[in-house]
Amino acid sequence: MPAGDAFSERQQDDVVRAIRLARKQSQLPVSVYVGTLEGDTRAMARQLHAALGAGADQAVLVAVDPGARRLEIVTGPGVRRRLDDRAAALAALTMTSAFQAGDLSGGIANGILALAEHAHVPRSLHTDQP
Amino acid sequence: MTARTVLRAAVLTSATALLVLVTTPAFAAVTVLAHRDDGDDPGGGLSVLQTLGIFVGIPVGLFVVIAVLVSAPAMARGPRYRPGVGWWAAPIWFNGPDDAERAVREAEAPSSQGGGASARW
Repeated sequence: MPAGDAFSERQQDDVVRAIRLARKQSQLPVSVYVGTLEGDTRAMARQLHAALGAGADQAVLVAVDPGARRLEIVTGPGVRRRLDDRAAALAALTMTSAFQAGDLSGGIANGILALAEHAHVPRSLHTDQP
Repeated sequence: MTARTVLRAAVLTSATALLVLVTTPAFAAVTVLAHRDDGDDPGGGLSVLQTLGIFVGIPVGLFVVIAVLVSAPAMARGPRYRPGVGWWAAPIWFNGPDDAERAVREAEAPSSQGGGASARW
């Protein structure tokens, strides 16, 4: 397989747009890593999630290893109350069914939108009432 | 049946058969030798090269053109992901830390409170 970029310009735009939409729609910061996850994929994905820094508590990391055909969704402790593991599993299913068909970027974008759909927007009290 | 009826039937059958026979293409050649209609010119014939061009060159050319039209978009787009063929591209991180390598190296231990999901395909 020759070397090349993982995504075309348009596919990258699709993913970026989905990330932006998730942030706008449900204030859900989503980060997407596509590459090799060495060793224990779950541990590696959590390591990457921790590398998000101060925002990691509220962030969701989607880690895809297309070579090993593994997908890991890591939610921070803060965001886990809004996005439970069952919703994450549902989004993971959305993604993997697209990946099976060879649609990497489309699966990622749809999965992010599914995550955003399920993430409850934290209700801010007393700001919308006089 | 009288002999007269038999004769009539024989004449009718042979006359019809003769008419049909005369109008068959086999007889056309005979008539052409004798007489040719206006615009009925068979032309000079084709050389070997022309024959090959028309019956081999044009079909092969069409085949090549259609094959190129079909495969050109995929070639222009470059390699794409296919499950089970492996992965070749450099890692990419959307919405990740600016200096990914340093961030991963200096990250604190992951919290055990987080959740998420794992899947394979």
